Amino acid sequence: MAKGTDTEGDTAALIARLARDAAPVRAMAHPLRRAMTWAVIALAFGAAMVWAIGPRPDLAERVSDARFLLEQGAALATGVAAAIAALALTIPGAPMLLRLLPVIPAAVWVGTLSLGCLRDWAQMGAAGVRITPDPACFVYIALIGSLPALVLLMMLRRGVPLAPRWTTLLAGLAAAGIGNFALRFFHTQDAALMVLVWQVGSVAVLALLAGLAGRILLPWRARPV
Amino acid sequence: MTAPADQAKAKGAPPLEDLMQRAQAGDAGAYHRLLSEVAARMRRLVQRRAPWLKPEDVEDIVQDILLSLHQARSTWDPARPFLPWIVAIARARLADNARRYMRRMRIDLAAAELAETFCDIPTNSQAETVVNLMSVRKAMHGLTPAEKQAVELLRLREMTLAEAAEASGSTVAALKVAIHRAMLRMKGTLWKD
Repeated sequence: MAKGTDTEGDTAALIARLARDAAPVRAMAHPLRRAMTWAVIALAFGAAMVWAIGPRPDLAERVSDARFLLEQGAALATGVAAAIAALALTIPGAPMLLRLLPVIPAAVWVGTLSLGCLRDWAQMGAAGVRITPDPACFVYIALIGSLPALVLLMMLRRGVPLAPRWTTLLAGLAAAGIGNFALRFFHTQDAALMVLVWQVGSVAVLALLAGLAGRILLPWRARPV
Repeated sequence: MTAPADQAKAKGAPPLEDLMQRAQAGDAGAYHRLLSEVAARMRRLVQRRAPWLKPEDVEDIVQDILLSLHQARSTWDPARPFLPWIVAIARARLADNARRYMRRMRIDLAAAELAETFCDIPTNSQAETVVNLMSVRKAMHGLTPAEKQAVELLRLREMTLAEAAEASGSTVAALKVAIHRAMLRMKGTLWKD
C-alpha cells in the first residue's frame, strides 16, 4: 500500500470519524419479511380507500367469480413479488436476477386478461372488446398507490441504491399493483380489454415513471463536509 | 464459520465477518480495523479496475465506498460472507463514478463549446445542441440578474441581439457585455464542476 499521501491521510481521518460515530445497528430483516410488513400496510390503506369510496354493489357476486379471483390474485401477487424484488435489490450481494421475480405473476395477470378479451369477443362480438375512455383508473391507482409507494421508498432508502432505476420501477409496480387490486373492489369495470388497457396500462405507466426517476428517488447519500 | 473467515484466522487476523459483527454491535475499535482493512483492499481493487485514475480520484472512490459501508452496515446479514457484500457496494460505486466521469466529460465539452460561442455573437445552433440544459442552468446560478437574462434570451431562446435588447428593454451594447461576462463566468463554473 502506498503511504504518506494527503488523500490517504484524508481517508484515515474519515475512518477515524466513522469509527468514533459508529452506533450499534441491528441487522436488517430479510426482504421477504420486510415486503410482508409493507404489504400489510399497503393492503390496509387500500382497504381504507375502498371503504371510503364505497365498495361496488356487486362485490359479493364478484368475489365468487373464479375469473375475478384469478385476476385479482395475479395482480396482488405481482405487487407483492415486485416489492420483494425491490427490497432485495437494495441489499448488496443479492442476485440481480431477483428483478425478474414479478415476471411470472405479471404474465399470469396479463395472460388471464388476454384470454378474457378473447372470451368477451367470442361472447359479445365487437361490443365486448370496445375501448372507451376511463382515465379515472389512472387517478385511482395513483391515489391508492401513493401511500404504499411512499412507505416502500422509505424502506428502500435504508438499503443501498445498487440498481436505482430497477428498484424504483419494481417499487412503482408494487404500489400500483396494489392500487389496481384495491380499485377493482369499488370500480365496476370488468371488461377484460378495458382492464388490460386502462388498469394494467396505468400500472405499467406508473412503474415506468417511477423507474425513470430512480436516480433522483434513490441517490447515493452525499459525503458529509 | 465461513471459508474466508477460516483463511483470515489462519493468518492470525480476525476475519472481516467477525469485525463487522462487532462493528454492528457498536465496537469502535473493531470498526476502525474493519474500515482500515476494507480501505486497503478497495484501494487495490479500484486501482486494478481503473488503472488510469489519479491517486486522489482513487481515494475519492475508496472514501465513497467506506461511507456507503457505514450507511448500509445494517444491510449486512451476519450469516453471510462479508466480501461479496462489500464488493457489490464497490462495484456500484465504481459504476456511479464512471457515470459521473462521463457527465463531467460532457460538461467539459459543453464548456469548450460555450467558450467558442461567445465569439460568434448572433447564435450558434450547434453549441445549443451540445450544451446540456441542466448543466447550463446550474452554472447560471452564479450569474447576476442581467447576465442571467442575457444567457436566457441570447443562448437559450436563441434571440438576436436586437430582439433580446427589445425584449429586455436593454441596449445591444449592454447585452454584449453581459453575455461576454456570463460566458466567461459559466465557463469557469462548468470547468470547476
